Amino acid sequence: MSYPVSSSLLDGIVLAVVERESTYGYRITQDVQKVLDISESTLYPVLRRLQKDGCLTTYDEAFAGRNRRYYKITEHGRALLRQHRIDWQNYRNGIDSIFFGG
Amino acid sequence: MNRNEYMAALRRALSVLPEEERASALRYYEEYFDDAGPENEQRVIADLGAPETVAEQILADYRELTAVPQQDAGSTAAKPNHRRRGVPPWLLVVLVLLAIPVGVPLIGGLAIGAAGTVAGLLIAAVAVVLAFVVVLPLTLLVAGVALCGFSFALWGAPASAVTTLGCGLALFALGVLVTLLIIKLCTLFVPPLVRGFVAIIRWLVDKLRGRTRSNGGGTQ
Repeated sequence: MSYPVSSSLLDGIVLAVVERESTYGYRITQDVQKVLDISESTLYPVLRRLQKDGCLTTYDEAFAGRNRRYYKITEHGRALLRQHRIDWQNYRNGIDSIFFGG
Repeated sequence: MNRNEYMAALRRALSVLPEEERASALRYYEEYFDDAGPENEQRVIADLGAPETVAEQILADYRELTAVPQQDAGSTAAKPNHRRRGVPPWLLVVLVLLAIPVGVPLIGGLAIGAAGTVAGLLIAAVAVVLAFVVVLPLTLLVAGVALCGFSFALWGAPASAVTTLGCGLALFALGVLVTLLIIKLCTLFVPPLVRGFVAIIRWLVDKLRGRTRSNGGGTQ
């Protein structure tokens, strides 16, 4: 059984992954793919949008003779992630109460 | 398909994006291939799917992003900038009101004087050019023809008649030469002059329009 992932849930997941540590596109995709069945092409638009909304910033760091672009969460991103956590808790509690009886 | 072909196809499919957006997306996927490692190249290509599909996702998201929010962001970002840089509108109004008693007589007088001078110069220039361009060759031609005609009246004294006829023909020829010369000069100088004149007018109009536009922006 798989459930469709809404774009706002994806935003929250990406923010949470980047909050743990600043990281790069391929790693973020791998981390998200561990729990969600998404295509490798799903995340670029999400990262770009979060960046434009001021939730993420990027910086370049040399790695193996090239520059790797890292994503870093901003204060605005952290605030949004807090709201995502609250919303998710409420959502999960609601589903849980029906699934398992509150 | 290998990585290079994939990236080339993606570049083509993203060609409608602004340069910055396209560069950002292409860089992301170049790095993605780098980080996945050459051994995973085919797996990444298979998992990403057709370049056109990947591009469509990026384009759809870009359209969504630019449809409303970016316009908003642009106008709100531009306005404070404009205000900070320019003179406050109320101050501008006060300054203009204060300047009227001094400015109107001074500038009015100057403007009328300047306009008169310019008009006079223009008319003089046109008169000189007309005199040179029209009157000189016309006079030469008419004088030439008249002398030729006159020479027939002097038929009684052949020497005078022939001399007069020769002078008439020479004047006529000179008239033709001058006419040709003037036509040549006109084709050389008139188009650039007209172009220059048009350019000056356009520059003035642009300047005026630009000024009213920035005033309009400042007072909004």
